[in-house]
Amino acid sequence: MLLFALVISVAFGFLSRRRPLDRVKYMLWSLFLFLLVGIGIGWAMYPFSR
Amino acid sequence: MTEEIQTPATSHSEKSREMFAFACGVAGWLVPGLGHALQKMWGRAIVFFVTVGALVLIGAGMRGNVFNSDGGDAFAALGYLADLGSGSFYLLAKQDEPYGADVSRAGGDYGTRFLAAAGVLNLLSALHAYEAARGRKG
Repeated sequence: MLLFALVISVAFGFLSRRRPLDRVKYMLWSLFLFLLVGIGIGWAMYPFSR
Repeated sequence: MTEEIQTPATSHSEKSREMFAFACGVAGWLVPGLGHALQKMWGRAIVFFVTVGALVLIGAGMRGNVFNSDGGDAFAALGYLADLGSGSFYLLAKQDEPYGADVSRAGGDYGTRFLAAAGVLNLLSALHAYEAARGRKG
């Protein structure tokens, strides 16, 4: 999941921002959100896992 | 009220620009990053080539499902469309999986997602190349 989030965040950063600093900020922000949502959904499913 | 007057010269340049944009879009779909490379956007070209390539190689390495056109159900058809998005890398994924997919393990299932994400990401990149060539994006 971390690898997936990292690769997609880098691509999104280059896709949607032009200035290097903006790209880095966008990459970090989208990486954080990917991980947050992934782990959040994982925990949300936990009560129904058994 | 202003009226736009289109001279034959501007119309011709518009047409050639549109053709170039279309070529960039198709090239970007066939080879990830090529659409940006044609516009000398080297950073984006390299990043899209590397990221889409990495997703395809990892997905195929995990023995994810590379869908065929004869999938049978709607999910397989959608998966085929997503996989086709990676252009020539679809063939690379096929080559990289001599023993076929193995989705009986979690790794294979993750691999399928990696391959689909590579295709969709490449479609986004090709669309961006098309829009950039038309002058709509920077």
